[in-house]
Amino acid sequence: MLGIAGRLASGRGKFSRVLVGFMVAGFACLLATGLAAGWVTQKIQYHSGWVNHTYQVEIAINRASLLIEQEETSRRGYLLTGLPVYREAYDDYAAALPGALDRIAELTADNPVQRAAIGRLRQHVAALEAQRARVTAIMDNGQRAAALIAFANETSIRRMRVIRDQASDMLAEERRLLAERDAEQAASVRAFYVILAVAAGILLVVAITSLLTILRYTRDLASSRDSLRQLNETLEDQVTERTSDLSRANDEIQRFAYIVSHDLRSPLVNVMGFTAELSTAAKPLTDLIDVVEEKAPELLTQEMKLAAREDLPEAIGFIRTSTQKMDRLINAILRLSREGRRVIAPEPIDLAAIADNAVAAIRHVIDDRGATVTVERPMPDLVSDRLAVEQILSNLIENATKYLQPGRPGQIRISATRARDRVIIAVADNGRGIDPRDHQRIFDLFRRSGTQDQPGEGIGLAHVRALAYRLGGTIDVASRLGEGATFRLNLPATYQIPQENAAA
Amino acid sequence: MNQHQPVGIVMIEDDEGHARLIEKNIRRAGILNDVRHFTDGTSALDFLFEAPDGPAKNGPALILLDLNLPDMSGTDILARIKAEGSPLRRAPVVVLTTTDDKVEIQRCYDLGCNVYITKPVDYDSFAQAIRQLGLFLTVIQVPDIEPAE
Repeated sequence: MLGIAGRLASGRGKFSRVLVGFMVAGFACLLATGLAAGWVTQKIQYHSGWVNHTYQVEIAINRASLLIEQEETSRRGYLLTGLPVYREAYDDYAAALPGALDRIAELTADNPVQRAAIGRLRQHVAALEAQRARVTAIMDNGQRAAALIAFANETSIRRMRVIRDQASDMLAEERRLLAERDAEQAASVRAFYVILAVAAGILLVVAITSLLTILRYTRDLASSRDSLRQLNETLEDQVTERTSDLSRANDEIQRFAYIVSHDLRSPLVNVMGFTAELSTAAKPLTDLIDVVEEKAPELLTQEMKLAAREDLPEAIGFIRTSTQKMDRLINAILRLSREGRRVIAPEPIDLAAIADNAVAAIRHVIDDRGATVTVERPMPDLVSDRLAVEQILSNLIENATKYLQPGRPGQIRISATRARDRVIIAVADNGRGIDPRDHQRIFDLFRRSGTQDQPGEGIGLAHVRALAYRLGGTIDVASRLGEGATFRLNLPATYQIPQENAAA
Repeated sequence: MNQHQPVGIVMIEDDEGHARLIEKNIRRAGILNDVRHFTDGTSALDFLFEAPDGPAKNGPALILLDLNLPDMSGTDILARIKAEGSPLRRAPVVVLTTTDDKVEIQRCYDLGCNVYITKPVDYDSFAQAIRQLGLFLTVIQVPDIEPAE
């Protein structure tokens, strides 16, 4: 049983450690996945910003290119028609152009390639603007023909192409950057998926292992429970077996006690008989000494007189008192063994009534000793041997009134409680108490405790204990010198007749 | 006492001391009949049933029986004496033993024992009991033995 309990305990420890380990691993995986997701989201956000930036740059470049083209268109309209509406439009576009270029510069300030490109663009645009301004100024002076000649001479179409190429280079550069960032984003998304896959794998492993561990533990539990149940089932058999062993041993001891005490009586009859014969024979001897002393004292020695008158009677007296004591002791053993052979007849018992009876039976003794006895009610039901319980109680009550503390009126309380399938009967007194060293001894045959100022052979409590054992119970005492004593009789609430008593 | 033949007393007692004390006290009561003493059951039975001068073949007897014998139980001897067809079944048997067990006493009377006496350990009572038994023996009528066919 201990083995199984130990295995269970250590199994539980290991089991919970493993389970906690798995849970930690699972949570770590989840945490890692969350962190990876956050990181990837941040990456994507960052990247989206840059994509947006690229588009803004593209828009800015396109706007600048458009302004340049529109400026050119309105200038040509002006040169052709001389209408101020073209001139105004040209001015508007020319005025907007530096702002558009600044916007590009602003957006691409972080990129040295684009910065260099915008620098070149600015140079070309400045040269173009200067040329346009010159031609336009000629036109403004009303020299339309001169202006047209100047227009025809100028190389603006080549310069325009350069500017267009420059702009498309810048656009290409931005596209390249965009592609680069797209690749980066794809990489981080891939990384995210890898992390996700790894985490999912680990989680799966953790889940499966946890499941297996739990399954194994459950199986262990089930098998432990089975073996426990089996143990429980055999326990009853074992208890029955032990009980029958015990009762066999007990029967043997009883028989032994009976035979021994019986056979001891035989020689004792002789010892006592011949002592009496000796005593009878000593009488004529003493008479002879008396006669001789009277008639021929010279024949007598002091020794003879002493032997006949003192030594013989003294020896005979000692032999007699000793054999008488031995007879009492043997009778006590005989009585105990006879009690042990009595058949126990369980019946429902009114404990309180029995206690009352026991008190009433020795009422005169209790009154003589000036003690009061209280029987506390209610008392639990008990099914046991009436006679045995009565004898135990009256013995305990008698003892309680016998060993009082001098100068303190005796108060004895008898109570009973039920504790599961046992009934505990307590006889508590306020007497002189029992030295804790003697708590076991007093239940032994012929053993007594404390001042030997009361008559008795040391049989009562031995008898009580033998009875308690016979009823399937136990008896013990709680006491300290001078502070009273409480005897507790613990009996089965229902006496079970031993099954294998017949084996004896 | 029988008029024609003196009644012999057969004492079956394994303890020499007890036997001596019993005999002493019987004599003190004035019984002068012959006392044959046996310390075991086998020789006692042999004498009772087989011996030419034993009671079965030769005259009436009174039996003093102890129950605790080394070779057999006194109740076995009692059963043999009181058995149907036994020549001694009318011979008075006084069981004189240390056993005061109620069951044992009942059993002895069931088997046909005539008197059951528990030996008191106290010698005065013991001597008294034996002397009274002696007085009882002086007045008891013992039937003749029917010789075995």
